[in-house]
Amino acid sequence: MATNVSPASQTDKWEVQVRKGCLEMAILASLWPARLYGLEMLDCLERNAGLVLSAGTVYPLLARLKADGLVESEWVDVDVVHPRKYYSLTPAGRRRAIEMAQVWVRFSAGISGLLSPVLKEDIA
Amino acid sequence: MTKDFSVESRVERYLDRVRTALQGLPERQIDDIMRELRAHAIELAEGKGIEAALASLGDPVDLAKAYRAESQVVRAECSSSTLVIFLGLRHAGRTRAGRFLATVLYVFGYVYVVALWLAAGDKLFFPSRTGLWYLPGDWKSLALRTNDSPPPGAHELLGWWLIPAAIFAGWVLRYLIDGVAHWWIRRYRQSEDGSHLAKRAN
Repeated sequence: MATNVSPASQTDKWEVQVRKGCLEMAILASLWPARLYGLEMLDCLERNAGLVLSAGTVYPLLARLKADGLVESEWVDVDVVHPRKYYSLTPAGRRRAIEMAQVWVRFSAGISGLLSPVLKEDIA
Repeated sequence: MTKDFSVESRVERYLDRVRTALQGLPERQIDDIMRELRAHAIELAEGKGIEAALASLGDPVDLAKAYRAESQVVRAECSSSTLVIFLGLRHAGRTRAGRFLATVLYVFGYVYVVALWLAAGDKLFFPSRTGLWYLPGDWKSLALRTNDSPPPGAHELLGWWLIPAAIFAGWVLRYLIDGVAHWWIRRYRQSEDGSHLAKRAN
């Protein structure tokens, strides 16, 4: 049975797919310069990449990255009320981030070349 | 820093629901998750209010499901436990149909494993009625029968050797099924970039 889905709605769904595909890479990249705790990471992703993510999305993903040995965590007691769990990249996580960045740069450069006539048409 | 007990009690009520839905994971892991979520909720509540803090974590049952899915798939990948692999398979697949099919095939395969082992046990207690029978000249009639009278004129293959053969065949089948399940889970995880969290991603 065919369903009527508006083009805008389809574009929204596609954008969600694209964003979710970048989540792991974005999280690893956010940890590249320094260790971060959850709230800092969410803020960093929103500020630097425009990725507005819920904590309920990021924490389970961090748990998987930790189980995969890509990140490690450490509890730091700032005060009694505010313990913070800081995440940092392991050597394997750094290697993975580099690989993902290289793939991403190659891929996005290729797609950008393909899209340039589309964007020119749109501007005209 | 003074504590806001109304905020704390709402956070604790939320965490209780998450903890309940996380039952089955190692207690140490649950405690660590609770501590992290509590710290997140309280710190965010101080800046944006308790509603925003709890909203950022989402529905407690969905959140627990996401943790369970991550944990069970990771554990299943390198586990030899049938139960752990079964629980992991339920989350290992890009589509609901794929996950369902993988889980059903796994269970179906284990039915054969158990049947082979039961046949070995049956042979021990009902040697004259359990065996690998065939009708001479008709190899298509070859069948493993347990606790059942053989057809008239049927010949038995293996005899008492059925017991070690069935046990061995069961182990081989189990090894193959677990191998395929591990392959499926690895393949899923290699292609996985958080997609089963898609509905939770912005």
